[in-house]
Amino acid sequence: MSVPTTATHEGLPVGKLSAYLDWAQMLTGAALILFMWSHLILVSSILLGPGVMNGLAWFFEATYMAQVGGPLIFLCFLVHFVLAARKIPFNTAQQRVMLANAKRLRHPDTWLWIVQAVTAMGILIMGAIHLWVVLTNLPITAEKSAARIQTGFWFVFYLFLLPMVELHVGIGFYRILVKWGFVDRPGRWTLKKKENLLTAVFIGIGLLSLLRYYFLPLK
Amino acid sequence: MGRTLTFNIFRYNPSDPASAPHMDKFTLDETERMTLFIALNRIREELDPTLMFDFCCRAGICGACAMVINGRPGLACHTKTKEMPDEITLMPLPVFKLVGDLSVDTGVWFRTMYQKIESWVHTDKKFDPTAQEERMDNGLAEQIYELDRCIECGCCVGACGTALMREDFLGAVALNRLARFILDPRDQRTEKDYFDVVGTDEGIFGCMGLLACEDVCPKQIPLQEQLGKLRRKMALAAVKNILPKFLKKDF
Ligand code: HEM
Ligand code: SF4
Ligand code: SF4
Ligand code: FES
Repeated sequence: MSVPTTATHEGLPVGKLSAYLDWAQMLTGAALILFMWSHLILVSSILLGPGVMNGLAWFFEATYMAQVGGPLIFLCFLVHFVLAARKIPFNTAQQRVMLANAKRLRHPDTWLWIVQAVTAMGILIMGAIHLWVVLTNLPITAEKSAARIQTGFWFVFYLFLLPMVELHVGIGFYRILVKWGFVDRPGRWTLKKKENLLTAVFIGIGLLSLLRYYFLPLK
Repeated sequence: MGRTLTFNIFRYNPSDPASAPHMDKFTLDETERMTLFIALNRIREELDPTLMFDFCCRAGICGACAMVINGRPGLACHTKTKEMPDEITLMPLPVFKLVGDLSVDTGVWFRTMYQKIESWVHTDKKFDPTAQEERMDNGLAEQIYELDRCIECGCCVGACGTALMREDFLGAVALNRLARFILDPRDQRTEKDYFDVVGTDEGIFGCMGLLACEDVCPKQIPLQEQLGKLRRKMALAAVKNILPKFLKKDF
């Protein structure tokens, strides 16, 4: 029984909804992590040559993974946003309390959460634009991507989006393992170190790929 | 030795209409093996008899002396000044009702919380005062004791961003407390009963995994582990009826 703190006319019903929503938040987050890792492989294959990337892109299309997976990922993105946004404070008083707490505590994990919440808002806007641009201009080819990035505007756009996504994904990965109890007390510190390293490496690979697109000679 | 310590202390007496929240500065010479407990008592005896703060056991047992020490919740009696910089800022714990200066009322909060999660052994067995106490496996008793070591200081609540933002959030101490009853074979509550108490956004699903609670708890209660286990247990309980059998043996 839950004891209501306000005068409701019936007892507050306790359903399973919170649990289902938490599952969905975690699973869509995990799906997006897996997607982002595959995404990194596709995007960075440009470093091995445009042929490799076109090959991979062709493979994803020929097996219908792009046509089916793309919209599914978009759906995950939307669901995850709606669910995770429940945790982000939207009123100024709460935002100030959270920020003041992180500053006062000097506590890295509390800061990580703030980074996650702030990057989330960036990803919501920029990620949606990116998804739209790519999915309305299928198939994906190295030449098309390079042409877009060489406009200059998109290069700068991705310079912002890349670190935001990698930070959000890295922290999200750490958070899932911690929240769901998959690491023990000492394991948490090694996990965090590895996670930071992985995030740095991914941002590095991403930057190199961006530069490769930027300087790719167009036919 | 020979340091002079500066204390910035939050002052406010809510029951005095003339009082307004402000910080007061005090200086003291540091003595050997000085703790914040000793320092605060000297300030009250030598500098300002109106300073309000709580102490009882001065040995990290009662949990009365929790306050925000240079930004972090901790026990004043367990904080040695030699591990602190020359300047020390002391604030009352947030979340709890302010009694005055550094003193807060954790009692009302804890009592309300314990009522919400029904923090007692639920059993329909008649208590027989003449009978021998039922035996419990030693390993299990130790596991329960590990969680029972909580001194209800409130540090984990004062450090939790979620609890600060949301008054209705139960906090790590409550979730740890319930975990203790889940372990206890004398409590006859079913998994559904436990779920009804903490399987909500006020309970385990509201926790965002910031782990400030874990990092400030002065008794090193395994909060990270307990929160993780509880989330898994409660999340699995919700989907149990749609899971295949071999996955169910986890609880
Ligand atoms: C639409 C924009 C997005 C918003 C508003 C958003 C928001 C958030 C927030 C606030 C959290 C913390 C939740 C919590 O502490 O319980 C979170 C967690 C997470 N996010 Fe996002 N996110 C967005 C997009 C993404 C994307 C694109 C990915 C992956 C590529 C992602 C992956 C994750 C993961 C893995 C978690 C951890 C899940 C958990 O704690 O249960 N998010 N997100
Ligand atoms: S769990 Fe730790 S920090 Fe929280 S009230 Fe108990 S002893 Fe204090
Ligand atoms: S893990 Fe974070 S959100 Fe959860 S109780 Fe601890 S401090 Fe609060
Ligand atoms: S005085 Fe009892 S814990 Fe500090």
